[in-house]
Amino acid sequence: MTATLIESEDRREYRTTRRRDLAVDLSMTLATILAALAIGFLVMLATGKDPIAAYEALLTGPMERSFRVGRWLEDATTLTLLGLSVAIPFRARQISLGAESQVYAGALAAAVVAILLPLPPVVAVIVPLVAAAAAGAGMGFVPGAMKARLGANEIVATLMLNAIVVRVYDYLVNGPLRQTGSSAVHSERIHPDSALTPLTDWFGIPLGRSNIGLGLMLLTAVALWLLITRTPLGYRIRMTGSNPDFAEYGGIRVPRAIEWSFVIGGAVAGLAGAHLVLGVYGRLEPGMAGSLAFEGIVVALLARNNPLVVVVAGLFYSYLRAGGDIMEQQTDVGTEIVVVIQAVIVLLVTAQALPDLLKRRLARKQVGAR
Amino acid sequence: MNESWHTAGPAVAARAVTKTYGNGVRAVRGVDLEVPPGEIRAVVGENGAGKSTLMKLFYGLEQPSSGEILIGGRPRVLRGPSSAIALGVGMVHQNLMLVPSFTVAQNVVLGVEPGRRGLVDPRAAVETTARLAEESGLAVDPRARVDEVSVGMRQRTEILKALHRQAKVLILDEPTAVLTPQETEDLFAAVRRLRDGGMTVLFISHKLREVREISDTVSVMRAGALVGTVATADATEHSLAAMMVGRDLILDVDRTPAQTSEVTLSVRDLAYTAPVGQSLHGLDFDVAAGEIVGVAGIEGNGQSELAEILAGLRRPTAGTIRVGGTDTAGLDVAGHRRAGIGYVPEDRLHNGAALDESIADNLVVDRHDRPPLARRGILHPKAVRAHAERLISDYAIRTPDPSVPVRALSGGNLQKVVVARELSAGPRLLIASQITRGVDIGAMRFMYERLVAARDAGAAVLLISADLTELLALSDRLLVLRDGRLVARFDDTTGLTEKRVGLYMLGVEQHDREHLTTGLGEIS
Repeated sequence: MTATLIESEDRREYRTTRRRDLAVDLSMTLATILAALAIGFLVMLATGKDPIAAYEALLTGPMERSFRVGRWLEDATTLTLLGLSVAIPFRARQISLGAESQVYAGALAAAVVAILLPLPPVVAVIVPLVAAAAAGAGMGFVPGAMKARLGANEIVATLMLNAIVVRVYDYLVNGPLRQTGSSAVHSERIHPDSALTPLTDWFGIPLGRSNIGLGLMLLTAVALWLLITRTPLGYRIRMTGSNPDFAEYGGIRVPRAIEWSFVIGGAVAGLAGAHLVLGVYGRLEPGMAGSLAFEGIVVALLARNNPLVVVVAGLFYSYLRAGGDIMEQQTDVGTEIVVVIQAVIVLLVTAQALPDLLKRRLARKQVGAR
Repeated sequence: MNESWHTAGPAVAARAVTKTYGNGVRAVRGVDLEVPPGEIRAVVGENGAGKSTLMKLFYGLEQPSSGEILIGGRPRVLRGPSSAIALGVGMVHQNLMLVPSFTVAQNVVLGVEPGRRGLVDPRAAVETTARLAEESGLAVDPRARVDEVSVGMRQRTEILKALHRQAKVLILDEPTAVLTPQETEDLFAAVRRLRDGGMTVLFISHKLREVREISDTVSVMRAGALVGTVATADATEHSLAAMMVGRDLILDVDRTPAQTSEVTLSVRDLAYTAPVGQSLHGLDFDVAAGEIVGVAGIEGNGQSELAEILAGLRRPTAGTIRVGGTDTAGLDVAGHRRAGIGYVPEDRLHNGAALDESIADNLVVDRHDRPPLARRGILHPKAVRAHAERLISDYAIRTPDPSVPVRALSGGNLQKVVVARELSAGPRLLIASQITRGVDIGAMRFMYERLVAARDAGAAVLLISADLTELLALSDRLLVLRDGRLVARFDDTTGLTEKRVGLYMLGVEQHDREHLTTGLGEIS
């Protein structure tokens, strides 16, 4: 057939288009961030504040002192782990909102082991981590199995489980696990051997509460990326998310793939809980995950559920959070402006039509030029 | 509506139109086409020849990368279907686009409802629909819900919808693929009537016989370009086929008599109670290694249910199924595939492919967890890619790269992906359901050759099709299903005519039980 000539021509063309599309995606993301900053600038001008000083604090503040860098990295570690934890069920097209219950279950498990169980060094770190991952995985399995086997709606199941687990956590921290004789509400401290080594000890400069959990987070992201792209289970999760009827037709046990996506996500969220206990606070504190569980969803969406991109998105998102705090301390602009900037970025990035429109226009121009 | 039409010029035209998709697939290359008003123009071509894309350009679903589209004699920029509709272009898609829970009349008037102050006048809607149906000869029941009427009536509803919006140009994308012969004739009569009333019709089809019957002129496309336009009267099926593929092509299948060995598939007393759809009652039949057994029947008489039961997607209510000595009745889908069953599903878009995933990933769904693709729990992307490259060349799948998402492929090309996957598994039993539906002649011939080759290599093939010509050309033996029952069995298909099989399909004649079950061995 005459197709061979066409095919060789089209393959070259196809490759250039792919490269160009990638460049468009990257520059669009950058443009989006600039646009969001510009909008924030205008809002501050309109409210009669000094935007230049505010932006100086927001954008350079987190880098100015080493302990601020530490504050940023510590926050980014938890946030990225939580982003990763929802990205995996999202890949199976399961809208899991259960990161909150999983992170608290993980924190509880890690704390109970690290406080009550005397263990030799190194093992004292590994066992609580494993316990946290297992607790998180268990907390993921419940809604996963309810969805896969009983046909429950996963959104409702995960939200209800969050409500239950958060109440149980509050009860335990205020009651049985509360440190006796302390006026503040928190648990006993963990064994020093169980603590995740602070980065300060490694680099010899004060890096706040950031710790080797950062490296653990990076490893987790790479492991999850390998899982999704390089394992049969990852393939099953992707196909289930893309077309469950096709997956079933091909012999994939779709309910199993769904359950696994929840279990893996839960384990990662459990690790985030362990990071909070073993690395950041050194004990259980009420509401220690804050709003991070839900911001993790935003990070996963920004990264289009690609584990490696989640790391970039998590670092970036945390940077804005850290910068916002500094801006609030140093200027009269509140953190609300950061929320505005974040929201504009999320809106623009999730509006996928924009880069597609640009790609189409470029393709048209290219063909016209020929 | 329909403003500023030039009466002199062509009704629709394309000038040097090229369309490159965002992913780099170039579907249409420099096409010049003019269709004068009041003509039925057939557009034919192989899969991926660019017919559907060209029609989408006329309907505003896609915008040309270069060149211009003319409607009513003037160059137009169509920003979407709504601007095409405003200019008087209507399109009936291959996959019908109606609101299933609405009545026929509600669908016809959708978007241009009669009534006042934002309220729809249901009686006026029914009257309008009935009047349009009467005028055009497209019989519909305006009050019936769309999900309760036949596919043929749904299609007529789509055409009426276009008429209600005062279409002057009607694009029909493979309209006969879903119709019975009688419905096809009725459709053709209505289309001729519309043409005589001044309508311009663009008719996309793979079936050259129908093209010869209905069209005034034929335009042939190949590999995105327009090969030529000829008056239908001067064309033969043979000459058109030659233009389409660029070589002489004969559809007769070279088929030596079947060399059967042992029985591969035995089905005994199979019953299935369907929650929706057709139930099956007491089916008994065998398929031996090395033969193609056809299953004929009017669509919806249990063929889909039978295929899905044999593939493991549905559980039978009673009876036994044995494939090469394995009792498959209790197994899951993966168990069926392990027993050596391959299945080409009737609706490849529904479960034959994951449209947003790459060709490479679509080719490995049944074998992604074992060597050579996966070893010790690790899936090797290089192996997956090499596997895809091999099948792309073996099965002549037209694509620039294995990483192209299958959504970007045309119908026949996508079917090649499905067939490549199922046949390369080396199945002991292949269930091929509507294997050439929506597929052009070149790909059709390719599928036929592959089926016969699989048979000669010792596979048992169960061929389910709505196309009797295809069944008679390929089957060594033929079964007929009606109302979920086997009603005929022909152990020799030589000399069997479509007409004769049709009598059994329609229930005029029937084989007795003894004839149906002779020679079926007991299974242990």
